Amino acid sequence: MTTFVELDVRPILRAGGEPFEQILNTVNALKPGEGLRLLATFKPTPLLHVLGSKGFTHEAKEIGGGDWEVQFSPSGAPATNAANPAKPATATADDSVWPEPVQHLDNRDLDPPEPMVRIMAATESLAPGEVLSAFLCREPIFLFPELAKRGHSWRGGFESDGTTYKVLVRVNPTKGASA
Amino acid sequence: MTGVTLSRWTMSYFAAALAALIAAECLMAAGYGYPAAAIGAPETLVLVHIVALGWLSLLMCGALFQFVPVMIAKPLYSNMLPLPTLACLLAGLAALLLGFLQLAGVVTQGAPLLAIGAVLLGLGFSLVLWNLGRTLWAARPLPLPSHFVIVGLCSIGATAIFGIVFAFVLSGVTAYPHLVDVATMGLPIHIIAGLGGWLTFTAIGVSYRLLAMFMLAPELKGPTTRGAFYAGASALALIIIGGATAICLHGSLTVILSIGGLLGLAAMALYGTDILHLYRARKRRKIELNSRMAAVALGNFAATAALIIILLVFGALERNIAAVVFFVAFGWLSGLGLSKLYKIVAFLTWLECYGPVLGKTATPRVQDLVVEHRAIRWFVLYFLGVWSATAALLLAQPSAFRVAVAVMLVATAGIIVQLVRTRRLADVQAALRLPAGVRQPRLLFSWNNLPERKPT
Repeated sequence: MTTFVELDVRPILRAGGEPFEQILNTVNALKPGEGLRLLATFKPTPLLHVLGSKGFTHEAKEIGGGDWEVQFSPSGAPATNAANPAKPATATADDSVWPEPVQHLDNRDLDPPEPMVRIMAATESLAPGEVLSAFLCREPIFLFPELAKRGHSWRGGFESDGTTYKVLVRVNPTKGASA
Repeated sequence: MTGVTLSRWTMSYFAAALAALIAAECLMAAGYGYPAAAIGAPETLVLVHIVALGWLSLLMCGALFQFVPVMIAKPLYSNMLPLPTLACLLAGLAALLLGFLQLAGVVTQGAPLLAIGAVLLGLGFSLVLWNLGRTLWAARPLPLPSHFVIVGLCSIGATAIFGIVFAFVLSGVTAYPHLVDVATMGLPIHIIAGLGGWLTFTAIGVSYRLLAMFMLAPELKGPTTRGAFYAGASALALIIIGGATAICLHGSLTVILSIGGLLGLAAMALYGTDILHLYRARKRRKIELNSRMAAVALGNFAATAALIIILLVFGALERNIAAVVFFVAFGWLSGLGLSKLYKIVAFLTWLECYGPVLGKTATPRVQDLVVEHRAIRWFVLYFLGVWSATAALLLAQPSAFRVAVAVMLVATAGIIVQLVRTRRLADVQAALRLPAGVRQPRLLFSWNNLPERKPT
C-alpha cells in the first residue's frame, strides 16, 4: 500500500506563483514506496509527463470548483529519461531550474501558424540556454516536434483561466557548438 | 506533450480518394448507373461504392490519421501501418467492384469476389480501427470532439459488418435465415451507418476542431455540443442495434427508423446552432476560402434536413431517396471534404517544407502556397454543378443530370490542379520557394524528419 505525502499548491497558484520547483523538491524527498498527492487549481498536464518520466504513474480527478487532485504512485519501473537519445531535450528529460525568460511574446490573436513562426524566429535570436515565454490560444502541438528537432526544451500548460496556453522555451544550450 | 508530426501516408490517401472521385464523376457523366440503371442495379452499386469507399472513406481515413492526433495532442500509434491498410482497402474495393460486375454478368469469373472484397475491406477497416483506437486509448480522458470520432469509428465497424453479411449472402457463401433477413431488409441501416454514422458524424467531430482552429474561434464543449453528441449517438445506436434486432425478431423497422430519424434531426439542429456560434464568435474576421466553402457545404447539410422534411410531408421521400443520398454525398460531405483539403494540403506541405528552417531564413506564409481567387471559381462551379444535378434528379431529368455532373467533373479537375500546384510549391515566389535546407515535397507521401516513435 502506497503512503502519500500531500502537497497543496493551490495557494501558490492563486497568488500567481510557480510551484514547479517546490513540487520537484517534494518528489525528490520522497522515501522509496512513497507517493505524492497533489492538489492544484487545474489539471497539471505537463507535470504528469515530467513525473511519468521519473517513474510515477498518476490518477487525476476533478474535485470540484475546477480544482484537481492527482495521486502520483511509484510504478516500480525505472525512469525512462535516457531511453530516447534521438530527442535529447524535451520537457520530459529536463527538470532543472530555468532562468527567467528574456523575451515574452503574446501570440494569442495571431492566425495559425503565425504563433509558431514567431516562436521559431525568436529562438534563433536568443543565446544558448536563454528562455522565452509565449502566450497562445491553444496547445501548440505542431510546434513541439520542430523545437525537438533543434534541441530546444519546453514546458507548457494552460493558465488557470483555462483558455490561455503559456509555453516556456529554453534554447538548446549547445546551440551553435556543433554547427 | 510530444506534439504531433506529419502523418506520412495521408497524401497517398488523398490522391487515391481524388482519383476515385474523378472516376465516379466520369461514370455518372457517361450515364453509368442510376438514373439510367435501377437504384439497386449492380451498376449503381459500383458507382455508390466508388464514391462511399474510394472517395469519401479514403479521404476520411487519410484526414483522421493526421487529425485524430491533433485533436488529442498525442502522436499516431503507428505511422507505418496506414500504407498496408491502404493497400488492403484498395484491393478490397477492387474485388468488391468486380463482384458487383459479376452480379451484372459483365465478369464471368467464378470466384466469390463479393465475399473476398468484403473480407479485405473488413480487414482494412480493422487496421484503421486498431491504429486510431490505440492512438485514442493512449490519450484518455478524451476531449468532446473525439467522442464523435469514436462513434464514427464504431459506425464504420457496423457498416462493414452489414456489408460483409450482404456480400456473403449475395455470393452464396451462407444461407443462414437471420443473415438472409438482414441482407434483404438491412440496406437502410447499412446506408445510415455509413453515410450518417461513419462519414457525417466523424466529419462533425473533426469540423468542431478544425473550424475552431482555422478561424480562431473558442473550442466548444457546452450543452449544445454535448446534446448534439448524445442525440446523434443514440440515433445511430438505435438505428444500428435496434434495427438489426428488429429485423431478426421481425419487428417494425419503420418505427425504429422514424425515432432514429427524429433524434438525428435534433442532433443536426444542435450542431447547426454550434456552427453558427463558431462562425459568429471567430476572432479572425476575414476568413479564408476553405472556411467560406465549408460554410456552403454546411448550408447544404442544413438544406438536406429541410429537403428530407419537405419530401416526408409530401410523402415523396422514398421516391426521391437517390436525390437525397446524392446531395448528402456531394453537397455536404464532398463539399466539406474538398474545401478542407484545400487548406490541409497547403498547411501540411508548408509545415513539411518550411518547418525545419523557420526563423533561420525567409520563408513563405501558408497562404503563399495557394491562389484563392483562382481556386474559388472551381469551387463555385462545383457547387453549381451539385445543385443542378440534385435538381435534375428530383425532376427526373437524366440528361440534365449528366450535364450537371460533367460540370462537377470539370470543377473537381480544376480543384485537383490547384492542390497539385500547392503540393509542388508552384505558386510560391521563386526566390522563396526552396531556401537552403528545404526539400521539394513528394506528391504522395510526407518526409518526416523525426525518427519513428516506437509504440509502447
